Amino acid sequence: MNNATTLEILVWVVLPYVVLTIFVLGHLWRFRYDRFGWTTRSSQIYESKLLSIGSPLFHYGIIGIFFGHVVGLGIPKSWTEAIGLREEWYHLMAVTIGLAAAAACVGGLLILIYRRRTNSRVFGATTPGDKLMYLVLAATIGFGVLATIAHSALGHYDYREGVSVWFRDFWTFQPNPALMSEAPIFFQLHILSALALFAIWPFTRLVHVFATPLGYLTRPYIVYRSKDEKTSAPRRGWEKIDY
Amino acid sequence: MTVHDTERTSASPGLDGSLTNALIGTRRFFTPSQRISADNREVHKVGGRSGDSFYRDRWSHDKVVRSTHGVNCTGSCSWKVFVKDGIITWEAQETDYPSTGPDRPEYEPRGCPRGASFSWYTYSPTRVRYPYVRASLINLFREAKAAAPGHDPVLAWGSIVEDPEKAKLYKSQRGKGGLVRATWDEAVEMVAAAYVYTVKEYGPDRTVGFSPIPAMSQVSFSSGARFHQLIGGAMLSFYDWYADLPPASPQVFGDQTDVPESGDWWDAAYLIMWGSNVPQTRTPDAHWMTEARYRGQKVIAVAPDYAENVKFADEWLAPHPGTDAALAMAMGHTILREFFVETTTPYFDAYTKQYTDLPFLVALERNDDGALVPGKFVVASDPDSGATPERGTEHADFKPMMFDTATSAPVVPPGTLGHRFSDDGVGRWNLELGEIDPALSLYDHRDDVAEVLLPRFDTAGQGGRGDAVRGVPVRRLGDRLVTTVFDLLLAEYNVSRPGLPGDWAAGYDDAGALYTPAWQETVTGVPGEAAARIGREFAQNAVDSKGRSMIIMGAGTNHWFHSDTIYRTFLTLTTLCGTQGVNGGGWAHYVGQEKVRPISGWLHLANALDWSRPPRQMTQTTYWYMHTDQWRYDQFGADTLAATTGQGNLAGTTVADAVALSQRLGWQPYYPQFDISSLDVADRAQAAGQETVPYLVDALKNGEINFAAEDPDASNNYPRIWSIWRANTLGSSAKGDQYFFRHLLGVDDAVTAEETPPEFRPRDVKWRDEAPVGKVDLVLTLDFRMTTHTMHSDVILPASTWYEKHDLSTTDMHPFIHSFNPAISNPWQSRTDWETWSTIAKKFSELAKTHLGTRKDVVAFPLQHDTPGEMATPHGRVRDWKRGECEAVPGLTMPTLVEVERDYTAIHDKYTTIGPLLENLGMTTKGVTFDVKSYVERLRHLNGVARSGAGAGQPRMDTDLHACEYILNLSGTTNGHMATMGFQTLEKRTGMHLHDLAAENEGKQVSFADTQNAPVPVITSPEWSGSETGGRRYSPFTINVERKKPWHTLTGRQHFYLDHDWMLELGEGLPVFRPPLDMTALFGEVPLGQTHDPGDNGHAGISVRYLTPHNKWAIHSMYMENFFMMNLSRGGQTIWMSVEDAEAVGIADNDWIEAVNRNGVVAARAVVSHRMPRGTAFMHHAQDRTVNVPLTQRDGKRGGIHNSLTRIMIKPTHLVGGYGQLSFAFNYYGPTGNQRDEVTVIRKRSAPVEY
Repeated sequence: MNNATTLEILVWVVLPYVVLTIFVLGHLWRFRYDRFGWTTRSSQIYESKLLSIGSPLFHYGIIGIFFGHVVGLGIPKSWTEAIGLREEWYHLMAVTIGLAAAAACVGGLLILIYRRRTNSRVFGATTPGDKLMYLVLAATIGFGVLATIAHSALGHYDYREGVSVWFRDFWTFQPNPALMSEAPIFFQLHILSALALFAIWPFTRLVHVFATPLGYLTRPYIVYRSKDEKTSAPRRGWEKIDY
Repeated sequence: MTVHDTERTSASPGLDGSLTNALIGTRRFFTPSQRISADNREVHKVGGRSGDSFYRDRWSHDKVVRSTHGVNCTGSCSWKVFVKDGIITWEAQETDYPSTGPDRPEYEPRGCPRGASFSWYTYSPTRVRYPYVRASLINLFREAKAAAPGHDPVLAWGSIVEDPEKAKLYKSQRGKGGLVRATWDEAVEMVAAAYVYTVKEYGPDRTVGFSPIPAMSQVSFSSGARFHQLIGGAMLSFYDWYADLPPASPQVFGDQTDVPESGDWWDAAYLIMWGSNVPQTRTPDAHWMTEARYRGQKVIAVAPDYAENVKFADEWLAPHPGTDAALAMAMGHTILREFFVETTTPYFDAYTKQYTDLPFLVALERNDDGALVPGKFVVASDPDSGATPERGTEHADFKPMMFDTATSAPVVPPGTLGHRFSDDGVGRWNLELGEIDPALSLYDHRDDVAEVLLPRFDTAGQGGRGDAVRGVPVRRLGDRLVTTVFDLLLAEYNVSRPGLPGDWAAGYDDAGALYTPAWQETVTGVPGEAAARIGREFAQNAVDSKGRSMIIMGAGTNHWFHSDTIYRTFLTLTTLCGTQGVNGGGWAHYVGQEKVRPISGWLHLANALDWSRPPRQMTQTTYWYMHTDQWRYDQFGADTLAATTGQGNLAGTTVADAVALSQRLGWQPYYPQFDISSLDVADRAQAAGQETVPYLVDALKNGEINFAAEDPDASNNYPRIWSIWRANTLGSSAKGDQYFFRHLLGVDDAVTAEETPPEFRPRDVKWRDEAPVGKVDLVLTLDFRMTTHTMHSDVILPASTWYEKHDLSTTDMHPFIHSFNPAISNPWQSRTDWETWSTIAKKFSELAKTHLGTRKDVVAFPLQHDTPGEMATPHGRVRDWKRGECEAVPGLTMPTLVEVERDYTAIHDKYTTIGPLLENLGMTTKGVTFDVKSYVERLRHLNGVARSGAGAGQPRMDTDLHACEYILNLSGTTNGHMATMGFQTLEKRTGMHLHDLAAENEGKQVSFADTQNAPVPVITSPEWSGSETGGRRYSPFTINVERKKPWHTLTGRQHFYLDHDWMLELGEGLPVFRPPLDMTALFGEVPLGQTHDPGDNGHAGISVRYLTPHNKWAIHSMYMENFFMMNLSRGGQTIWMSVEDAEAVGIADNDWIEAVNRNGVVAARAVVSHRMPRGTAFMHHAQDRTVNVPLTQRDGKRGGIHNSLTRIMIKPTHLVGGYGQLSFAFNYYGPTGNQRDEVTVIRKRSAPVEY
């Protein structure tokens, strides 16, 4: 860490914390000031056929990738070795499942982008923010796939000893920039584009990730909402008068 | 029932499966604080409702105010206007229309998306918020005022307009921006000074005011109108100018337009929608159409394009544009053959004998070639008309005769025009035939048969005139041969009977014979079988239902040059089948039609008839035809339109000559009146020591004073001030608006038309080599929008919107009267029209003290319909005193000349009080005079009494609310006592029982507060021809039919035949088919359908029929630049084209195009649609050019509006006056501003689009 350059520190230490701050505060701000804008702005009303294929494909793919990341980044190599999972097996499992999920995700994304660009009504409902988000999202996914293929599947980089360690150290506030600066180029690009994605995240439709209606699974059909029991201050002009 | 269903229905309440049940069962674990019911169906949460307030607040409001949409929305829907925090936020439809009674649909719901988006205007970017004056003008005025003696604004104004350089400086800037804010005081001072100067220097009739369609904001209309009438200015008509007036209605019914309310569509069993796009143009009423269909009504749509209303139809007929009369003639041919000749239909027979002119006798005349042609009605004064006791009685020239089979002699029936005003007609002006049994035809009573020559115009082009020889049965009357109108009608419709000479149709499939179903197919493209069948069904339904066959007719058939002939062919169908005057039957004309139901009050308020009579009113079409010099671009004489059967009495004259003739014979009004100020006549007479009127008649005879129409371009003969409120003439209704730009305003224009070559120049109207440019000195506009008209004005005053004033609204679509009310006080510096004109009147009166004082004015007033003036022309024979054909007698052979005293210092006093003439002279509407003393007395208590000034002791009228009470208290439709009394007056003349029609409401007085509370049904009144008594639906002429009250025509019946010289000259004595004007033959336009060589822009053009129908996104209650409407439509100007035409010249949908003809250029985008028939283009009217209109490729100037490609074309017969129903009344009879005969070349634009 001592021999890290200033640039490395800025990129692999400072920047991620800045992004984290933007991500957290951005969502708080958005929730506070734009609660009615907390939406995917669905374009299903303009086009539904391609959407019905592309959207599930993309979403199931990206959910798979998410859990792949949880495992790959969150679980230290020592843990899997402790339960006797051999490195080759783990690698084979990660690459096959990961690439299957990536294929679904990329395929879905291509359909969605194609749909968004060729259907004039959908394109008309696309904001500049959407376009930026699509670009950054596609770049992140693309670099991720490239990194996996080029460096993990065909190459010999073990991210579990590099990027993953850096990632876990990040949460304990002791990130080692060297782990990242030594990582292969596509991993670096993947991380950088992901940082860009997290930075713009609160200001895009991606906020819908945090509005996933999981509660619907267990919600009774009829919802009653009684008034708040806490007595708030009476409205102006309706205060009680003490005679 | 499946097993599964059985299980579900028998199960106890629960969820839809065990999985759901299990999932929800886990809920208690996730959210223990929320109570889940035992059956897992409910969750009870506490709190979390703060989001509710957003939705509550979204729809919360501080107040709801009733108002409606003004100017010309004939829907007249009542609306709730919502106000929140002092801001108008939205509007919603009112739902409280009175019920139509059991067993029929209601008027509620009423409204449309246009009305629902009006509130946008209140705070729109186009809102006029302050008074504006063009900088070049206000600078001139300030300098001139500083330099004028005593800083006199009147002298200042004079010094500007009389200086050609200064005048040009500001006039040439019109429409080019440069508007700056002014204060109300300064703007009004300038306007008032201009008025005072013009009245003083040129005469009051050089000022002209215009506001359209009073019914849907009666007080606003009245404001400026009252001001102009008080000073002696002229007011321009609107109904005829918009080409919405169907001249056939006065011609046939002697009534401007009286039509069923939309609720009466429900009563019809068979309904033809002919050129009227009901769901688009009558949106709030269209539901009646659907409901009537559920009742079993058969609906036919006749439209050249796949219009919206076609979806309602059981059958769609698509004639080529402008050929509707050919289709109707073929239907008439079928009906006459099958229901009148082959069999007799008792219902039709009885109806036509009693209620139409069909049994009346017409003499045949020999033309120059010795052939017989239809001539004049036989009247009691004819020496050969038999031993009638009516000969020698008063007005015997106007007592036409029929043939009585009981006595085998000609006889005068009661109810003719001759009975309407004469002493011997008291109690006899009715339609009772008594002992008389009229012969419809002389076929069974003939002495002989004779061949008559009838005109035809069916071949293409103006060279297509010709005639046909047909036979009629005749009787001899002295040396004359006479026949009946019915016999002539059969001859005209080519319906043969055995034994009659002439050329006749061999059968329905004789395509070579005029007016057969097969012939019409060659003209219209509609299958002959369908034409005959639908005609037959229409008649058979009328037989079966006693007249419940209806034709809704509209602009598609009415906006043509020959609209009157088209409509007369329709009215032949409705009248022959006994459908007029029957609920659910008859004509239903819906084109800009409006109905000021409280007509008497409005009429007297607007025309200031409580202070001075008569008013100066003028047909706008004629006005602008002359004053924008469009007459100087005519390329043909008036006789071009004549029939070969005519006597040549239009030969050698032009349309402008006809206008001049119509002024000097008193047929039509014309202002300015004379080539001197109308204020100078009395002074000159006094100087000559003579009475004013005799002096004037002599001076007119010897040419010392001349009528202004004879030299319209002389600098003292044209208008100087043009004021407009509630209107957008230059952006909408100005046919030939580029001519307005050139001659009236003096700005850039796009006219390329040639001036009239010497051989076609007028005979009586003076031709000046150099036509004036920039005639008008002041264009004043009161508006809340920045329109093309506003932007071309010199002074703009900010006006209230419809949600910011008190006013009244009525329509003929429903029988209710309701109100406008201010939802907010006037924002920014806007004022109500009533207040603005009051302000101008006040300043005017003040400036008049030094400049005008009290003057004697002479008003030349045309021979008026519903007065004895309509008996000025016996037999409809034209006699011109100027050619020595008769004496010049005011009120008989020339206009009525009335001396009127005007105290110009008291204009404001008079404007704001109700004058004494109502009590002294009463109120007269459509020939019925009302004694209104007690109602005026009531107004003294309602409005208060003026304490000082010219109106001291009279009821006050300071505010628009007072004016509303004036209208309501002084109209039969809203004052039951007045209606009852009017009917009693009419009973004396007719001898028929009438007053029970209003008696049920005798004690009812509608107050303004009532109209604020809810729409109020009106009272049956002699002001109209139909009845609402007992809550029935209004249908016109039901009083005529049920109570035998005559129509206001020559015979007192509905007219098929018009025997005026000019009608016969044009070959229009009877219904006839005339094709659209041939613009190639008349003006050298590119022939229809022909592609035009690529010109300078490199793209070929195609010549198409250019139609300007109603705009879906902007009609009536709304304008095109409304943000919401533009979002629903494409925004900006568009022209609709057919796929074939567009392909022929390489135009794709949404391409920029240019439409060009001799009148101007339009830049727009193309809408290419299968809706459109080949050869036809639509440019929806009144799109205006304030949004998205680029510079044209041809000229590099701003593209024009829809009326930049049209021009005014006057049909000489519309100028006729002084003869029965063919007499002038404001918006009743006069030339129409028709515009559908025009063609244009459309080509793709190649130049870049620049603004």
